[in-house]
Amino acid sequence: MNYQTVGHGLVKIDVMEKVTGTAPYVDDLVMPGMLIGKVLRSPYPHAAIKRIKIEKAQALNGVKAVITNQDTPRVKWNSAGFPPSQGAILVEDQYILTDRARFVGDGVAAVAAVDEKTAQLALDLIEIEYEKLPHVLGQDKAMEPEAPIIHEGVEKNIVGHLPIVIGDVEQGFKEADFIFIDKYTCQRVNQVSIEPCGAVVALYDANGRLNLWTSTQMPHLVRRIVARAMDMPVGKVRLIKPHVGGGFGSRLGAVNEPIAAMLSKATGKPVKLIYSREESFVGSESRHPIIMELKTGVKKDGTFTARQMTAYIDAGAYATHTPSFAGPVGGWFLAMYKSPNVKYDGYSIYTNTPPCGAFRGYGNPQVVWAVESQVDEIAERLGLDPREIRLRNHPCKGEVWAWSGWEIESCGLEEAIERGSQSIGWENRIRQGSNTKENSNQGQETVHKVGPETKKKGIGMAYMMHVSGARPMLHETGSAFIKMNEDGSVNVVYSSSDCGQGSSTALSQIAAEELGLPINMVHITQFADTDTAPFDIGSHASRQIYSGGNAVKVAAGIVKKQVLEHAATMLEVSASDLAIENGQIICLQDETKTKSVAEVAYNALYGTNGFEISGVASLEPPGNPPVYAAQFVEVEVDTETGIVKVIKVAAAHDVGTAINPVCVEGQIEGAVQQGLGYALTEEMVFDEMGRLQNPNLTDYKILTVKDMPEIDSIVVQAASQTGPFGAKSVGESGLVPTAAAVGNAIYDALGIRIKDLPITPEKVLGLLKAKS
Amino acid sequence: MNKDISLVVNGEARYINVPADKTLLDMIREDLNLKGTKKGCDAGDCGACTVLLDAEPVNSCLVLAVEAANKEVTTIEGLAKGGELHPIQAAFIKHGAVQCGFCTPGMVLAAKAILDKNPNPSVEEIKEGIAGNFCRCTGYKKIVDAVLASGRNIQG
Ligand code: FES
Ligand code: FES
Repeated sequence: MNYQTVGHGLVKIDVMEKVTGTAPYVDDLVMPGMLIGKVLRSPYPHAAIKRIKIEKAQALNGVKAVITNQDTPRVKWNSAGFPPSQGAILVEDQYILTDRARFVGDGVAAVAAVDEKTAQLALDLIEIEYEKLPHVLGQDKAMEPEAPIIHEGVEKNIVGHLPIVIGDVEQGFKEADFIFIDKYTCQRVNQVSIEPCGAVVALYDANGRLNLWTSTQMPHLVRRIVARAMDMPVGKVRLIKPHVGGGFGSRLGAVNEPIAAMLSKATGKPVKLIYSREESFVGSESRHPIIMELKTGVKKDGTFTARQMTAYIDAGAYATHTPSFAGPVGGWFLAMYKSPNVKYDGYSIYTNTPPCGAFRGYGNPQVVWAVESQVDEIAERLGLDPREIRLRNHPCKGEVWAWSGWEIESCGLEEAIERGSQSIGWENRIRQGSNTKENSNQGQETVHKVGPETKKKGIGMAYMMHVSGARPMLHETGSAFIKMNEDGSVNVVYSSSDCGQGSSTALSQIAAEELGLPINMVHITQFADTDTAPFDIGSHASRQIYSGGNAVKVAAGIVKKQVLEHAATMLEVSASDLAIENGQIICLQDETKTKSVAEVAYNALYGTNGFEISGVASLEPPGNPPVYAAQFVEVEVDTETGIVKVIKVAAAHDVGTAINPVCVEGQIEGAVQQGLGYALTEEMVFDEMGRLQNPNLTDYKILTVKDMPEIDSIVVQAASQTGPFGAKSVGESGLVPTAAAVGNAIYDALGIRIKDLPITPEKVLGLLKAKS
Repeated sequence: MNKDISLVVNGEARYINVPADKTLLDMIREDLNLKGTKKGCDAGDCGACTVLLDAEPVNSCLVLAVEAANKEVTTIEGLAKGGELHPIQAAFIKHGAVQCGFCTPGMVLAAKAILDKNPNPSVEEIKEGIAGNFCRCTGYKKIVDAVLASGRNIQG
């Protein structure tokens, strides 16, 4: 399809402000009388608070409020940014400030003071008598019968068990020629947005309304959560989202908004609460570590007879997302490969660590890490090309996708695999570390394998499927209000949750395309304001373009209809003979009959019976078309140091129609950086007392520019049927298959299979030693 | 204890009374009210607070404000001249090198420091020059492209 605006890599709408340093983020806001908030955190992983004395802190000059659990509303709440939906299991188990510390860093008190130094001094003056309680780390340990109970009444700390059964796996295993049993694990990683997570200014104003300027991915849902935590009506809360310095899931729910809200309510002053980098690690939610037990039955021809996974998910100290999260984890697993028999059990388990929540990919990187590593082994055992086993068994267009239960609208996996293979040079691949048939070619060194003896190269691949929104598990309501100004330009009033990914730009392109307007005549609200913008779920589940885009397109269609009808009256022709092109009304029958959209809009407003051309749409999108990707990775492993160097990543992603291809590439490239970190370097390390050992960017290693390999982002566009102009999604998928592809490349290089992330040099050396 | 210092900020002379233990970053953000310089860690790890101090890139969270006395500070606000973007800023826009934008001011200034010394840097030199600036959004690819291209641009 040839579009005027859609499909073009237009410059993003927010970049001028961002390159000149004028784009406001929460920490840049200053208000008259503004106070600074700070949170006191538990030094113990598990402790009851026996006594808490705040008098000295209160007495400090400049301190305006000191709050503890006793001041918090007597409601328990859940911080996860979920719309109440069929698939949302929202266990409410926390107070805004706790009376029993359940992890090191649990918030026990907070202060508001005239400046940061005073606030810090005040924290030091709060006296707390703790009664230390036994604690437990690690989800496997937490389930043992003798483990301490973290929340009363939650036996074995299992806060959720989600089973899925399709067919009969036992029968399926009987029919299998081979059965593979493996255990894969993965670490806890943090989103590390460069703007630390937890940035809010709260103002409980004289009218009793709570105003929040917060760095969030979900304006409307966080408004609802804060209202619940504060035990106040939703309508009394107003949330405004300025620019957001990266989200990646960390802001997918309430972070510290309720604490700031309480401090403002206590003082009647605006209170700014900005988390430090360290607090951003412990005071927000990170990616779930999962222990995954896989059992897979296959026929010699590479078809699956039974697939089973038991997942033990470390929830951390509070439920937040986890019991619901167990659902998609099962969904990713069962939807990847066709099999008549599937069984899944997902256990959500409390531990005395910071809570886990959403991080780009939402369980899919974990599942794909396990499944795609094992499938690589299966392919090898069966003598199949790793690409072939994926192509034979993945769900295709026209088939029912088990994640949603709906028919798959389009599939670009074949093209992705083909183009990715070409980019990486798959044909040159010779297994050198493993005992495969291909290995008989060992003597045949190709260019690809040349290198010093101690450095071994390898190529691996992995595939994934992902969502465009969360239906039918969760509601996907999106809304847009579009009004036309007298110059023919439009305002798209939208609850924008753009965190930099470019969704506001792409949504503007959708509106421009539908309306026949040049992009510079579309003005989208960049700062969501829940008082004025209609309801939207926010940025999660890669939903903005599909769910938000559908709402914008429908609203634009309504506006367009009004423009054409009004133009028809003005031109005395039938509306069905008119079209809009580049801001101009064209009469298909009579070239002389033309008007600019501006003239029509002006006439509508100021002619007889004035009205504003406008349209509103609020809807759930019709489906959830899955996206596909195949990533190919080339590594070079130093067998003396165990260091894995990634040489190249070819990331081929079927995104449906790419509304803005430059933004799409940016999403893939940025996600690959996170995926490689997940594979190789990133890990939140706790000591035995549950203290995070590396809450800083020296010891928690995200990749620098020097660590990055060549990335070839390959955009495959298998248009969906229900997405706006055929779009699907891209936000999360770029990091989903990366770790598995790295692991498979290492196997290709060395013949060792690491089953626990991250793949550190120590683990590589350990396995190499064991092998020799 | 406070100190009076004078310095040049983006070409203008400024006189400031500042606590001896205040960082240059906090002075820029709070006293000079220049909010373009970002705080990503306050510990010298992320580069979001990069400014030029006498043309040298520094993590302003690691420098005391008083150390900037009698020196020249360039922040992101000082780059565009007379409504014209600096070529590096223009290249960041053109190459899609900006996502959330939180790393961008520091990144642009780190890039400027590279190009001021060597208007035609190699990819390796660019990477070396921005290795202390984290970006979590872009994977750096388009940033490197932008710096490379602005090198050529500046050279004409
Ligand atoms: S804020 Fe200065 S280096 Fe991060
Ligand atoms: S653009 Fe977001 S951190 Fe670089």
